[in-house]
Amino acid sequence: MAAPLELSCWGGGWGLPSVHSESLVVMAYAKFSGAPLKVNVIDNTWRGSRGDVPILTTKDNIVSQPAKILNFLRKQKYNADYELSARQGADTLAYIALLEEKLLPAVLHTFWVENDNYFTVTKPWFASRIPFPLSLILPGRMSKGALNRILLTRGEPPLYHLREVEAQIYRDAKECLNLLSHRLGTSQFFFGDMPSTLDAYVFGFLAPLYKVRFPKVQLQEHLKQLSNLCRFCDDILNSYFRHSLGDG
Amino acid sequence: MSLVAEAFVSQIAVRWAKVNVIISSTDKGMGKSYPQTIAAEPWPENATLYQQLKGEQILLSDNAASLAVQAFLQMCNLPIKVVCRANAEYMSPSGKVPFIHVGNQVVSELGPIVQFVKAKGHSLSDGLDEVQKAEMKAYMELVNNMLLTAELYLQWCDEATVGEITHARYGSPYPWPLNHILAYQKQWEVRRKMKAIGWGKKTLDQVLEDVDQCCQALSQRLGTQPYFFNKQPTELDALVFGHLYTILTTQLTSDELSEKVKNYSNLLAFCRRIEQHYFEDRGKGSSSIRLS
Repeated sequence: MAAPLELSCWGGGWGLPSVHSESLVVMAYAKFSGAPLKVNVIDNTWRGSRGDVPILTTKDNIVSQPAKILNFLRKQKYNADYELSARQGADTLAYIALLEEKLLPAVLHTFWVENDNYFTVTKPWFASRIPFPLSLILPGRMSKGALNRILLTRGEPPLYHLREVEAQIYRDAKECLNLLSHRLGTSQFFFGDMPSTLDAYVFGFLAPLYKVRFPKVQLQEHLKQLSNLCRFCDDILNSYFRHSLGDG
Repeated sequence: MSLVAEAFVSQIAVRWAKVNVIISSTDKGMGKSYPQTIAAEPWPENATLYQQLKGEQILLSDNAASLAVQAFLQMCNLPIKVVCRANAEYMSPSGKVPFIHVGNQVVSELGPIVQFVKAKGHSLSDGLDEVQKAEMKAYMELVNNMLLTAELYLQWCDEATVGEITHARYGSPYPWPLNHILAYQKQWEVRRKMKAIGWGKKTLDQVLEDVDQCCQALSQRLGTQPYFFNKQPTELDALVFGHLYTILTTQLTSDELSEKVKNYSNLLAFCRRIEQHYFEDRGKGSSSIRLS
């Protein structure tokens, strides 16, 4: 019998169990592998920590960061990948790297840096779930962290202005989405009929982009044109998360 | 007379405008399209690749990048002359080495160089279908994400390596105190980037484990094939060769990094095969490299 596994993560909205990509990755993986997770949604009481979310707590361990949490779950015999061949396992790592390098900057930008989106959607949502006075500080810090990450990894000369970096990262993100769409084709999941780690990661990154209602939506529009990726997200939401949807 | 003069001046103006377009169009865009003038010019004989000084200055990650570009150009059968300059990093349009100087274009880093060479009509990945191209791009990102970042971590965040090797090498062409200042500045930059992507808190063991995972993935993908996409090498093969070969042949404070690669015999055979086929057999004078 496994010790009770508790996951602290950001809550849901717009039909999603969580609007935070990394939290969503872990929740999806837990559903796919059958791990019994007790989800503790962060709310505006002072209970629980909110740095480095998502955090998995068991009787003896505290694990943070999605990659480490997934590794931990696999060691506890909750493995969604055991039917994959060695080569498919290698492909998983490669596609996850592709997501992190090409898609993540644009997702971060859409949520945290684009002014219209940040001030009308992201900041109020997160601020309402963080206790005062931390609600005044933490969203701003998360936004600066996102901007920092984008500029440090992509904003090298000759792209000196944020505008040019923006153009570049959205171009890369659209190409990444196209590549994922080609790879998925008409299959239900990326490796056949059973969902695996890669499906969890793709779902985690794409679903917030797909569902959250933003004023500035260029990447979302592009995603909506790739019908197989939209179908992929909807299928997972309907099959695995129907009973635990939060409201916006 | 004035008509002739006018025609002459307008010709000069048109050519000058074309040259300006060419020189100013060096950026890192992936979806970039080059003007027709680029495609029309053949690959010149005097194309040069610039990197830092081989013996005393160049670091592991830069050497890997340079070797990857050299391998790629060899695979495309395009002649290139390697020139070593102490200030190569500053000459480069994007601040990264290596960069190539072809005609009157200057392009840096493997991604844009592949695009540029493609605009000239040479490509290694044309025979791949869309899904294979997606896989190739994904694996290239894996190498950049894990191997390159691990190399940077080892060079700039591991105290032993920094003290014994990196600082001394990085500042070696410059007089005191410039050598220290530049080295510290670069170290600060790299550490900031590591923190931003979440590698700041990693220990050396965790980084080595990541390298092992990456090599395992590459080894599993390669399998028993000669190249990653069976019979023909692509830019992915060039990139993997550049990094693995440099890791295997560079002397660091400890052998842990190269030991991780040596665990996978098909990767060793892969490096040997590319070295033999593209570097030894060609008899190129620029660098004869030996897999020790």
